[in-house]
Amino acid sequence: MEAITNHTKKPGGLKRNGFWFKMLQQKYLYLMSIPFVIWVFVFSYLPIWGWTMAFQKFRPARSFWDQDWVGFKHFVDLFSDDRFFLVMRNTLAMSFMSLVAGFTIPILFAVLLNELRNQMFKRFVQTVSYLPHFVSWVVVAGIVTKMLSIDGGVINDILLGLNLIDKPIQFMGEPHYFWSIVTASDVWKEMGWNTIIYLAAITGIDPEQYEAARVDGAGRWRQIWHITLPGVRTTISVLLIMSIGHLIQIGFEKQFLLGNPLVIDYSEVLDLYALNNGITQNRYSFGTAISIFNSVVSIILLFVANGIFKRVTKESIM
Amino acid sequence: MKRKILKGTSLLLANVMLMSALAACGSSKDKEEEKQPESTGNGTTTNETTQTAVDTTPITYTMLAADPSPDWNQMQDEIGKQITAKTGITLKMDFATDANKVSLVAASGEYPDIISAKGSSNLFVDAGAVLELSDLIDKYGPNLKKVYGDYWNRLKWSTDDEGIYVIPTYDGVNNTYFDAGGAFSLQHQAVEEAGYPQIKTVKDYETIIADYVAKHPKTADGQKTLGLSLLADDWRIMISVTNPAFQATGASDDGEVYIDPKTYRATFHYRRPEEKEYFRWLNHMNDIGLLDPESFVQKEDQYRAKIAQGRVVGVIDQKWGFQSAIDTLKKDGKPGATYGFYSVQLDDSTVDHTFEPTGFMGGYGLMISKDAKNPERIIQLLDYLASDEGQVLINWGIEGKHYSVNDGKRIIPQDIQDQKSNDASNFRKTTGIGLWNNYAPHYGDGMQDSTGNYYTTNFPEQIQKTYTDEDKKVLAAYGKSTWKDFFPSEKDFAAKPWGAAWNLPVPSDSDANIIYNKLTPIVRKRIPEIILSKPSEFDAKWDAFMAELEKNDVKKYEDEYTKYIQERVALWSGK
Amino acid sequence: MTRSPSKSKRFGTSMNDKLFDGTNVIVMCIVLIVTLYPFLNVLAISLNDSNDTVRGGLTIYPRAFTLKNYETIFAYQGLVTGFYISVLRTAVGTLLGLLSGSMLAFVLARTDFQARKFVSTFLALTMYVSGGIIPVYMLMRDLHLMNSFWVYILPGLVSAFNVFIIRSFIDGLPYALQESAKIDGANDFTIYWRVILPLCKPVLATIALFLAVGQWNSWFDTYLYNGSSPSLTTLQYELTKVLQSTTNSTDYRGKNITDLVTSVSPESIKMAITIVVSLPILVIYPFLQRYFVKGMTLGAVKS
Repeated sequence: MEAITNHTKKPGGLKRNGFWFKMLQQKYLYLMSIPFVIWVFVFSYLPIWGWTMAFQKFRPARSFWDQDWVGFKHFVDLFSDDRFFLVMRNTLAMSFMSLVAGFTIPILFAVLLNELRNQMFKRFVQTVSYLPHFVSWVVVAGIVTKMLSIDGGVINDILLGLNLIDKPIQFMGEPHYFWSIVTASDVWKEMGWNTIIYLAAITGIDPEQYEAARVDGAGRWRQIWHITLPGVRTTISVLLIMSIGHLIQIGFEKQFLLGNPLVIDYSEVLDLYALNNGITQNRYSFGTAISIFNSVVSIILLFVANGIFKRVTKESIM
Repeated sequence: MKRKILKGTSLLLANVMLMSALAACGSSKDKEEEKQPESTGNGTTTNETTQTAVDTTPITYTMLAADPSPDWNQMQDEIGKQITAKTGITLKMDFATDANKVSLVAASGEYPDIISAKGSSNLFVDAGAVLELSDLIDKYGPNLKKVYGDYWNRLKWSTDDEGIYVIPTYDGVNNTYFDAGGAFSLQHQAVEEAGYPQIKTVKDYETIIADYVAKHPKTADGQKTLGLSLLADDWRIMISVTNPAFQATGASDDGEVYIDPKTYRATFHYRRPEEKEYFRWLNHMNDIGLLDPESFVQKEDQYRAKIAQGRVVGVIDQKWGFQSAIDTLKKDGKPGATYGFYSVQLDDSTVDHTFEPTGFMGGYGLMISKDAKNPERIIQLLDYLASDEGQVLINWGIEGKHYSVNDGKRIIPQDIQDQKSNDASNFRKTTGIGLWNNYAPHYGDGMQDSTGNYYTTNFPEQIQKTYTDEDKKVLAAYGKSTWKDFFPSEKDFAAKPWGAAWNLPVPSDSDANIIYNKLTPIVRKRIPEIILSKPSEFDAKWDAFMAELEKNDVKKYEDEYTKYIQERVALWSGK
Repeated sequence: MTRSPSKSKRFGTSMNDKLFDGTNVIVMCIVLIVTLYPFLNVLAISLNDSNDTVRGGLTIYPRAFTLKNYETIFAYQGLVTGFYISVLRTAVGTLLGLLSGSMLAFVLARTDFQARKFVSTFLALTMYVSGGIIPVYMLMRDLHLMNSFWVYILPGLVSAFNVFIIRSFIDGLPYALQESAKIDGANDFTIYWRVILPLCKPVLATIALFLAVGQWNSWFDTYLYNGSSPSLTTLQYELTKVLQSTTNSTDYRGKNITDLVTSVSPESIKMAITIVVSLPILVIYPFLQRYFVKGMTLGAVKS
């Protein structure tokens, strides 16, 4: 019997009196989901009343009714700040690079890991590969900075030794290298961890398909291309859609730690801008305005990505 | 029963102090206002005041503290137990280590009884969440009045609202500095080789470095010698790169502004023409290869490693910024590679204002919520802590246990001192010494009580103990006994009537603060860029920097700051 | 009946196969070295004397071996309570998270579910919107979750991310399984519990890992909501305090610093903390790993 994927028409089901009848029919499904919907409503949707803060001049100790209303002033302030656009550019550039690297490399790694013959070796490599996930960014940034230093840093030493350059290069001080350094560091740190989901998905692929492919004379790469990758397509799509939604919410820790005054125009991202100009300054309203901006853009991206995927690959999350 | 005994002991102690006070000078009075003579050096108190009956029924107050106190032990420490015994009060503490949590508490409407909110105090005052304290202090806080003495005006909130809402507990009254820890330092071996020349200007500083580097391009370990290394990692850029610009041009620390002492006009300090020349000197140091090219890229641990390896001839920083590197050098037996601190100016037209006194600055402290029950008892608690007995308790501990009195002199036994240095965290936890300093009004270092002993455990005699033989050798060669002796002392200056500008409570959503947030990234980007540029480009780049500041409303920032300073001067001089 | 490809006979392109395998192993060795380095570096510094560490230059082995950094941490009394609470919240949080996530995922995987689109969208949006720290705080207060253990569990119980990942896995299972169970008279809940859930072991193991690590590492909620309840403290929060007690205050203006010397530097403590926190996870990990790193003997079960 064939596996029926998501988008085959629904099985059986007589639509008699429509909505309520169906609901009764599916009462277990409802019972298993409604409580959680309410849960989500309480914990995630209720607090959104806080968005009104973005339209006030919020003073924490005063009651809701006691605040001054300023309309869209904070949004105007946000969009008229030159720095905001700079920051957006940095955010988008780095998150795009991270999206590309953060998908292709873990998938490739998962596939290659899967192909390892020796079970012990496979498990060992997989375990070690995620260790950097537990090392904090403070430490990783320190290691990266030292490796790229002109004062005895490993990379410069190698390049000099191979006669590829005649003077050490100040990598960390060069604004144009910054985005690449951040992306590479992120891959180094998170690749192993991000691979885990793909490994789990690969596990779900029917091994008989591989058998059949072998009989047909397919080589390793062929097998990977025609069996492994399609087998994880749903997982990849779902993760990709969710990641695109997060495109501008990439946090700031690594950019902050890897940055320095010389590259400041390339390292400041939206979340850092929000931090510096929002909550830590007790400027809640401004911080909330940025947060709303963040959410609106994310939701738009989410719907666009979802729509495109639905049309092109028939996978989606909504 | 226990209460009676303790009460008896405290009365006895009070009487002993009273006797010695009588023997010293003055006469005792009960519960009267005492005036503290304003002094910038060692001061002595003239009188002891005794408390009349204090309600000591047990009561628990909740408190929020805006600084972490990881060794806090629910008042199970020895000092804490003593305090509870004396006043009946137990404090239930919660800590906020970032502004977020403090604002959350402010927003929640449920306030702890005592609030220490540091820079967010205005949130509570604005909302009317805390009590105005002048009356309560008048009635229940004679020791508080004594401690703050002449600085009473500095506790007032603002010119619009002269009430007292915050009892300052962070800053010590009449604090004295015993030694200099920055900003310009040189390795002893460099100074020695140069023959202990006069070090007054940046040129002198540069010459010593240049000569040493020329003779010793590599250290004994084979590492490249660096003339000067700076640290620009996040806020440290201010300490190592930008603050020295005003320190070297005759200005004192007022944060990012310079205040004209006559007109009280504020200027964003980078706009002073003198400072342009200081940065030109740094640019020059880079040009001739004496500046570590990694200065603006390195992280703190790399910076410290270089210093700890003895490679850096000159460091421009505050001592606490590289203390661990100095310790490592000492442990490695390289005292010649450790540093001395000198007073350096751009040229001889200015005087070093590093030690210009500010007077007591008020500042962060405790507030009492309007919902607190029996707020007068909280005042009494603070009053007890501010009394001589309380001060000795929180600084020295309990007599017999943590210190002893030999011939009228308080000393700390060696084993207690060892514990304090080697097992600091546990020491704090069990004894409580070091836990209470920011929760009580207190005298600063250098103040002596009526017994001639210091209130705090930091005093000038200790400085000599921290000097190595090498330190003493260099000092002797210059005829000085401490590094501070190189600098003009506080006595040469009048106290600034505005205290220090970095401590002004500027509201966070004010124009001044918003503009400041825009100016900071500009400064942090441009200054390193300018220092690293070619000398021929310096002027053009500097002018561009100035233009950029102006484009971003720096003049408005200065105007706003001027207003704040003028308000403070008016408030503090008690119009 | 099914045999893993590694054991099946190789036809034809065995030379290519060998080349592939060989290159793969080399690549893996490089990855091994590169990813092991940071962790070994942290371990080395944690076992190194603070004063010596300042000089820098440590790579993967300690130069001046000492256990002092660890001693400082373990001398800290709050750790025991913190450990128990952390273990408890990890266990409870992971279990409940798995239950809620898988249940919702099962429901949403059913294309015939009436409210499917609505619930999916409703859920998806939560990943990108937040009311902000103040409204959330006030909500916790109003729900009486402050100073309670449940503030660690309840707010994060339903995670959209987890639900969608599990769902994508369930989507790969043949619908025929559910159909045949229905024919045998099972209701939806039984299908979920008896049929689908057992097949989800790989993805459940993965999500369990994410949940567990998330619970184990969190301290911010302890700080915000349970700061004044020492009996509800968590391991990470206590370790943060250990770090704070070895770091001197950074605001030195207006102070004399005479007792600045600390015998253990914050950097060394930070490294030791990393090791202490990671070790339990490393210990548990192999038990979860076997579910998703298989020799291809477990897969979708055929009908």
